[in-house]
Amino acid sequence: MAATGKLQSVRREWRERDVRVVLAALIIAVATVATIALFASQLQRTLVSSASSFLAADRQLESENGQPLPPAWLAEAQQRGLETAEMTQFSTMVFGGGHFQLVSVKAVSDGYPLRGEVEIRAGFNEPRQTLKSGPAPGEVWINPRLLRLLELKVGDELELGTRKLVISSLLEREPDGGFSLAALAPRVMMHQTDVASTSVLKEGSRVSFVYLFAGAAAELSGFEQWLQPRLQPSQEWRSVRDGETLSASLERAESFLLLGGSLAVLLAAVAVAVASRQYAVSQRDTVALLKTLGVGSPRIGRLYLRRLAVWGVVGTAGGLLVALPLFWGLSRILGDVLDQPVDVYLDPKALAPAVLTAFVSLFAFAYPPIRRLRNVSAMRVLRSQPGESRRELVPDFIIGIVGVFGLVWAYAGDVQLVLALLVGLGLLLSTLVLLGWIMVMGLRKVRGGGNAWRLALLGLYRHRQASLSQIAVFAMTLMLATTLILVRTSLLDDWRAQLPEGAPNHFMVNISPQAVNDIDEFWNSRGQPLDALYPMVRGRLTLLNGEPIKEAVSKDERVNALNRELNLTWMDTLPENNRIVEGEWFAPGKTDGVSVESELAGKLGITPGNSLTFTIGSEQITETVTSIRSVQWDSMTPNFYVAFSPDSSLRQLPATWITSFFLPKTAKNELNAFSRQFPTVSVLEVDNIIERIQLIVVQITQAIEAILGLILAAALVVMAAVISATLQDRQREGALLRTLGGRQSLLVQATMLEFALLGAFAGILGVVAAEAAVFALQMKMFEGDFRVHWQVVLPIPFISAVVLALFGRWQLRPVLTVSPMLLLRRLE
Amino acid sequence: MNQSNDQTRPSPHVILRVSKLTHRVDLESNTLTILQGVNLEINQSDSVAIVGRSGSGKTTLLGLLAGLDTPSEGSIELDGANISALGEDERAALRAQRVGFVFQSFQLLPALTALENVMLPLELAGRQNAEARARELLQRVGLGERLTHTPRQLSGGEQQRVAIARAFACEPAILFADEPTGNLDNHTGKDVSDLLMALNREQGTTLVMVTHDEQLAARCGRQFHIEGGVLSEPETRQQAVS
Repeated sequence: MAATGKLQSVRREWRERDVRVVLAALIIAVATVATIALFASQLQRTLVSSASSFLAADRQLESENGQPLPPAWLAEAQQRGLETAEMTQFSTMVFGGGHFQLVSVKAVSDGYPLRGEVEIRAGFNEPRQTLKSGPAPGEVWINPRLLRLLELKVGDELELGTRKLVISSLLEREPDGGFSLAALAPRVMMHQTDVASTSVLKEGSRVSFVYLFAGAAAELSGFEQWLQPRLQPSQEWRSVRDGETLSASLERAESFLLLGGSLAVLLAAVAVAVASRQYAVSQRDTVALLKTLGVGSPRIGRLYLRRLAVWGVVGTAGGLLVALPLFWGLSRILGDVLDQPVDVYLDPKALAPAVLTAFVSLFAFAYPPIRRLRNVSAMRVLRSQPGESRRELVPDFIIGIVGVFGLVWAYAGDVQLVLALLVGLGLLLSTLVLLGWIMVMGLRKVRGGGNAWRLALLGLYRHRQASLSQIAVFAMTLMLATTLILVRTSLLDDWRAQLPEGAPNHFMVNISPQAVNDIDEFWNSRGQPLDALYPMVRGRLTLLNGEPIKEAVSKDERVNALNRELNLTWMDTLPENNRIVEGEWFAPGKTDGVSVESELAGKLGITPGNSLTFTIGSEQITETVTSIRSVQWDSMTPNFYVAFSPDSSLRQLPATWITSFFLPKTAKNELNAFSRQFPTVSVLEVDNIIERIQLIVVQITQAIEAILGLILAAALVVMAAVISATLQDRQREGALLRTLGGRQSLLVQATMLEFALLGAFAGILGVVAAEAAVFALQMKMFEGDFRVHWQVVLPIPFISAVVLALFGRWQLRPVLTVSPMLLLRRLE
Repeated sequence: MNQSNDQTRPSPHVILRVSKLTHRVDLESNTLTILQGVNLEINQSDSVAIVGRSGSGKTTLLGLLAGLDTPSEGSIELDGANISALGEDERAALRAQRVGFVFQSFQLLPALTALENVMLPLELAGRQNAEARARELLQRVGLGERLTHTPRQLSGGEQQRVAIARAFACEPAILFADEPTGNLDNHTGKDVSDLLMALNREQGTTLVMVTHDEQLAARCGRQFHIEGGVLSEPETRQQAVS
């Protein structure tokens, strides 16, 4: 039929207000979810690649026992399509400017770094430049402090073993500047091909050989599977995730993106739900008319199903058209923040949730009432029929809830998250039922509209049904937005707490017991006091309960700690960032017992009461485990797997001491004086690493703010959509009130007050529900301690009241500017 | 209905005086003159019908007379106040105290019960005992048993009765009715117009009604015709008698 066919014309439909709202909601839904999903995928790629630069690659393979790695492995990796590079690290003495100095050499092959960039400069006053390569053969790049120590200048020669190399640049930052105890002395970077000609490396030299790999995830994991069975205990395979400092931040950022995306899905579903329900209800008269004209129920059903499908397609296409430029813009911002070009990558998988969200929310919310349109009586044309009973709405509600939570589940794949949100929503809705009852009971008694307050309360009562459903949607929207704000706040707080201003950025190792006091004095006199000093004895864990440890532990567990010497210490007080999880800390005066780090204990199955035997040089010490301790590895302070009691027999063995301290950039030169006075002490400079971690935290923060901004914008749009659903009624009422003699100012005040009350109610409900959801989330996803976030929670009801009051004012605009007579006629 | 009652009312006082009223609307390409040089005087307690075809300008005239809009030219004096010189809020205050309305499409608020709809203007005017007065009026219009029904649950005739009760709630000096029976069948329309006339008489209200229903117009003391925006008063029975 041509007429019913015309009903499907999108252009014609666009002229219908309700259809416009549905399509706008769909477009916004798809745009928000798609932008967030695309951006999250982009961010993940960027972050991983940025974090990969901590390894200068995606994966590293290191041999610690002085034996080179088999070149065939490199060939295998290249054959699998991976990029590769090599690195050799060792310590040696260099000579230059009449001085000898112990340096830490890093020799790199062509191709280094596979990820990240090296930062150099041609002289102290020259600008910094970033390169994706190491020095050319015959050249070295050296740490600026070394240049001062040797009293040389750029362009001079440096003798490294039997070879003279030209200092061509100062090395400011290397992408894999992570610290290991081998890299103690100032850095010299040279080309791999020059290593042989220095004749420094001999059989038995302390040297580490590293292979670097980069490439697609599939190829990397394929190679890893091939490699694992071939690995010797002294060979260590490392990925970004193993980098302890960053992995926690990365995982949390990912959780946040997931949460943000899920909330966007929920918000989008709410927007589409509200709009499409409104549409379905508004279609009753049209359906009645069609029935009068002889169109049968099945046909009406098909007609509306087709409409929904057409909208789904149009909304999705429109949403994607909006999302793509937004995504592009965000990626550009990301690039600016990172100060590095970002390859914009359009992940097709990231688009699926958006499309799914559009169709599921459209059909889950719009279809049930539309399906019931088939039952609309043709009599409706002649006389208005009673609306739907509440009982009919129950299955709709259930279908909607199942649909939406199914979506979130499909998107996040996390039952806990869905449950947390359900708890929040459940709390919200039950409070709402209570509030609704109180409102009807309390407001019924309000009489007389002489002033704005009473008129506003009367308005709330008058629109009680619409008010309650609006409060429900606003509260839910606010709950979602607040949840995100709260999670963001606690994430950022955690990150900031992890690396506070003034966190230690230098380590000193190899301090002889005799020098401890002098060194303490040296830094104290310069106003840079040291953190606690810890003794350190290197030893191997050999027996567990009298059994060789390698036999006691299942072969499946690859425990690096068993492959190398552990740093053992003794201490009397538990360090600030350690926490006893089992057993008890050493009682004063106790001479026996050890405390073991919880992860190592977990892997080896160590519990309090077990006996551990350590081999230290030619000595053996056996102790009983008295406590298991969790250690915050990313705290930038010395951390130990095993701690002995303060008066243990470990004290009898030769030890060196280690400490960390904060040295501001401006005081860096003190290190030269220090090195001269204490030549045997090694200073490990981690300030560059900390700076980079802080940069990454800043970048994650920016991304999170951007996503939060998007979600808040979506929340505002949902609110606008909900309010505009009752726009016509309210305008008509406004016109009528004016006709009946209501003053403009009274009308404005009353309407703004009514909306402000609505906003405040919704805000209070929303934040309470958000705190409940965050409580549930925090327990699982973010592992933080729960507390009420007053500084976030208090302003939200206020802001929501103000925003809604402004919305209300905006709605009233035509009522105030157009003659009431005209408006009444127009709205008839 | 007894027409002679209208004629015997003492000392007529002019409640509505219109002079040289012109109203134009700017369209995209040109200006449309809807009313042209309208002059009119209506005495207190008069009942006046303005008759004309659709689009003749009668509803616009009604809106202007009630102060819902302001004219392009000319002056309107309602109950001694020059409403074309009043601000919007002053006009609203005047409406709240002195003016009642009945619309063709009833214009009841769907969310409110019959009782609440009638209470609305009383509450807006800050009157005490709004509920008692509304109950009394609904009783008077025969809807004493339907106080808690919403417009949706009432027939068209019943809805218009609620609207009439609302119009008289604040005891207006003048009542404007825009096609009050336009949406009703003949029988119901007659009932509603009977009620309107009766209440008008009881309360001594001036009635200005716009209609295209000649029969209804004939029940008013004076009739005006409007065509092409020009108002004329043919010789009415009242004038013929005098």
